[in-house]
Amino acid sequence: MNILIEWFGLDPEQYNEVAMNLAAKDLSPVWIIVLVLAPLALWFFWTSLKRIQSPARKIFLIALRALTFVVLVFMLLKPELEFKKSHTLKNNIAVLLDDTKSMSIKTFPSEIPRIDFVRQTFEKNRDVLESLKKNFQVDYYFASNQIEPTSLAELKNRYRPKKTNTDIENTFSQLSKRYEGKSLQGVMLFSDGADLTTESETISPEILALLVDWQGPVHTFQAGSNAMFKDLAIEELESADFGFIHQPVRLTVTISASNMGNKNIPLVLKEGDTILLSRIVEVREGQNQYPVEMEFTPGALGKRIYSLTVPHFAGESVATNNSRDFQVKVIRDRIRVLHLNGRPAWDSRFLREVLANHPKVDLLSFFILRTMGDDVASPTSELSLIPFPTNLLFSDYLNSFDLIVFQNFSYEPFIDKKYLRNIHDYVKQGGAFMMVGGELSFQGGGYEGTGIEEILPVQLERTSQPFIGESFHLKRGKNLLRHPILQLEKESSANTKAWQALPELNGINAGLKPRKNAHVLASFDKGNKNYPVLVAGHVGEGRSLVMATDSSWNWNFRRVGEGGSGRYYYKFWNNLIAWLTDDPETRLLKLEADKERYEEGEDVLLRVRVLQEDYNPSVGTEVKLMIKSREGEATSETVKTDDNGEAALQWTPMQEGFYTAKVKVEVNGEKREAEIGFSVFSETAEFQKPKVNETLLKRIAEVSGGTYEVLTEKTDLSAIKFANPKVEVKTHSKSVSLWDNWWTYCLVLTFLFLDWFTRRKSGLS
Amino acid sequence: MRTLFNTIFILGLLVLAIFPPAAHADYSNLSVPQVKYKGGQPNPHPTAVGSLLGQVARRTSIEVNREPLQIKLSDPNLYRYPFLYLAGNEKFESFSQDELHRLRNYLSFGGFLLIDDNSAKANSKFDTSVREMINELFPQVPLQKISRDHSIFRSFYLINRVMGRMQINPYLEGINIKGRTVLIYSTNDFGGAWARDNLGQWTHDIIGGGSRQRQLTIRLGVNIIMYALTLDYKKDMVHLPIILERLRRSHSQ
Repeated sequence: MNILIEWFGLDPEQYNEVAMNLAAKDLSPVWIIVLVLAPLALWFFWTSLKRIQSPARKIFLIALRALTFVVLVFMLLKPELEFKKSHTLKNNIAVLLDDTKSMSIKTFPSEIPRIDFVRQTFEKNRDVLESLKKNFQVDYYFASNQIEPTSLAELKNRYRPKKTNTDIENTFSQLSKRYEGKSLQGVMLFSDGADLTTESETISPEILALLVDWQGPVHTFQAGSNAMFKDLAIEELESADFGFIHQPVRLTVTISASNMGNKNIPLVLKEGDTILLSRIVEVREGQNQYPVEMEFTPGALGKRIYSLTVPHFAGESVATNNSRDFQVKVIRDRIRVLHLNGRPAWDSRFLREVLANHPKVDLLSFFILRTMGDDVASPTSELSLIPFPTNLLFSDYLNSFDLIVFQNFSYEPFIDKKYLRNIHDYVKQGGAFMMVGGELSFQGGGYEGTGIEEILPVQLERTSQPFIGESFHLKRGKNLLRHPILQLEKESSANTKAWQALPELNGINAGLKPRKNAHVLASFDKGNKNYPVLVAGHVGEGRSLVMATDSSWNWNFRRVGEGGSGRYYYKFWNNLIAWLTDDPETRLLKLEADKERYEEGEDVLLRVRVLQEDYNPSVGTEVKLMIKSREGEATSETVKTDDNGEAALQWTPMQEGFYTAKVKVEVNGEKREAEIGFSVFSETAEFQKPKVNETLLKRIAEVSGGTYEVLTEKTDLSAIKFANPKVEVKTHSKSVSLWDNWWTYCLVLTFLFLDWFTRRKSGLS
Repeated sequence: MRTLFNTIFILGLLVLAIFPPAAHADYSNLSVPQVKYKGGQPNPHPTAVGSLLGQVARRTSIEVNREPLQIKLSDPNLYRYPFLYLAGNEKFESFSQDELHRLRNYLSFGGFLLIDDNSAKANSKFDTSVREMINELFPQVPLQKISRDHSIFRSFYLINRVMGRMQINPYLEGINIKGRTVLIYSTNDFGGAWARDNLGQWTHDIIGGGSRQRQLTIRLGVNIIMYALTLDYKKDMVHLPIILERLRRSHSQ
């Protein structure tokens, strides 16, 4: 062979094999020549040689023609010599080791975690696996919902049950891509088969398709078993990510129970330490799954974290799946407003239009259409009047309102004084209250010394004339020009113009003295006397506001008569509603987290915005941020606000759980606090379907031609066999054409010349 | 002395009749100015509105200003009074385009107009003038009969019949804009049924139905004013069960 290599001028050390290949792709012309044209041509040629007497010359001529055809066929076949360098490769075997969390589940009665069965098997069969390397390329992978290469040596230190999602189909798919074009002669899968994507007792068509494509078998080794598997789990929990305050949120829960006996089990929904709901689930032998429908009603806004738990019984394989945490972002579906009007009047009519047309407001309004002194001159049956549902409004459903408006409303005789205390408590606990002026408001309504006066941002002074029929223009508070209630336009000068364009008001409630911490947003000066008109204040957790006139409708209808529009009237009242209902954009201190929930080890970014009372940014303010877990303080840091009044803190939680971020600032001597909750979750999905999936592992082995075995302390891998066909790979090659050269062409010409010469000598043309 | 007193009293009434007070009022209380127009008789029952407002004050919690007011549509103070009353019994001159424009704006942005044909005649000249005026006012929005489930028939009293001094038509007509009825037209002479003299006696007899008919007309007047001040308040869900039950009982009797 070396001589041949050298004959073609090549280096014998570069090549160790020679092969002849035919370069012609389409062989049909060759067959036509061999089978049809050549025999026909030779037959015609033989008949043309009748005049030659010498048989030897005839045979010589016909032989020349035959040889010519042979060379032509040789040229059409395009033969070439391939000199190549090649070597033999080892076949591949992939060893997949399930490293998901479900592998930490203990098997009874030995109480050995599933993963330890795999470790034991590898320890015991180390020699077998080492010897396997002699004949095969053995690749090791950690397998979850993806494959991660590892090695036999690394297993001791790196093999941990930590991944959060078993997906065998995806694992096989990745493996298939990795070995595309390579000889994968088999797979060894060490797993509990607890695939989160596969229903028990089934195998997906996608896995089947992958197994059919593979040449080699998949030998499955089951870690752990379901014998004596005792577990109570919240297997599935479906809930919306967000819900509406005071509106039911629906939960669909599936409880699974294995070997739990007959028990009545409480399923408890908690927020923090407060039990919101409890349901008894009757667990019975022979039934594994229990669907439960639950409904609860969130009572507070924001990101709320709830826990659903079932008790943990002795001997359960998995403790973590007895509790499930979930988060619901509770928002307002509608702002529920209770609007009480002391008498029908234009001011109440136009305000009702604002409230009724507000896209977010769910309005319940009552007009006092008749008083005790009125003579309706009709039996009640001919009136449309209904009894005023005092008890329902101010006792049963009081907390369902986001805002209560008393407009020119005298509470007597419609509301018992004790209910005014309820309203007081409601506002202190986070509600909102507004009193709109008129003859029946404030002192005119008899509110001195009541719970209502306590929550108003003004004190009610004794006065002989509580309502004055003055006409006046409002003057905005100098220090509160950026207050969100006063923003009719975004730009400052446009806002000032908008206020100046508003028509005058008529009628003002007198004898109102702003409380110490109240904000007098607008007032009216007459001589030396100042009449507060628009006053806002915080009361406990709630907000309270006074509009001490009954003529704000001038800003709507009368403004239209002056050639303007009612736009600013609507804007003004919408601002009031937003501020009173604690719209996030109206807060002086805002604390936000960048995400809804965090994975374990993920950074938490907290942002703070601090505004002064006049809603200008509070620059350079010290902000104390504290993060607490249930166990205690996690971290605390003091930062300063930038030019925009903003500050941020990035922090990495060390463990899962519920955290509270609290911010404290002091702006101009006023202390403020804000708090949000967030949670750090450790993924526990692996424990929602903790049972070993024997069916899946058996079917994988069966379909692929492999074996299925449950791992024990005695498992011996030496019996596992794989096909080992020879696999050669050429590293380089060179092809030399045998037909495309002068020798071949000269040979054809020589045969044709001899044929022509012999024919001439024989007297033929 | 008595003769002198009577003379001063009569002269005072004459002054009031010839020079009615200009439009001004306590804006917190309900005032109902009467629209002044050219031609015809804009005020055939001068005490009708005052009488109705008296009934409103007596029967409801609404505070009223009973001082008779007359106002032109061109009056700069027009928008201080979101409720207008336009009455008459004869043909009147068309409003100018400017006045119509003001009235259109007035009604579109919150105002309310009650038109009352005091002629007690079908197809009166006043009726013709009113319909021409409304055609010009809202050419795209025709007058329509007001259905019996409209808030006007339940805003205070539960009413199932449309009366007046004389029932020319058993229905009211109206104009709706953006879900709000901004104009109501009656052909039944409401004012004739409402009006009283200075001694408190009814100035006109009721044709057809007696005192019950007058009471129903007053109730309808109260309801119209109540509707203007509360709109569809009585259609809120909280009222419906009781109102429907009372209506059901009323129909079954």
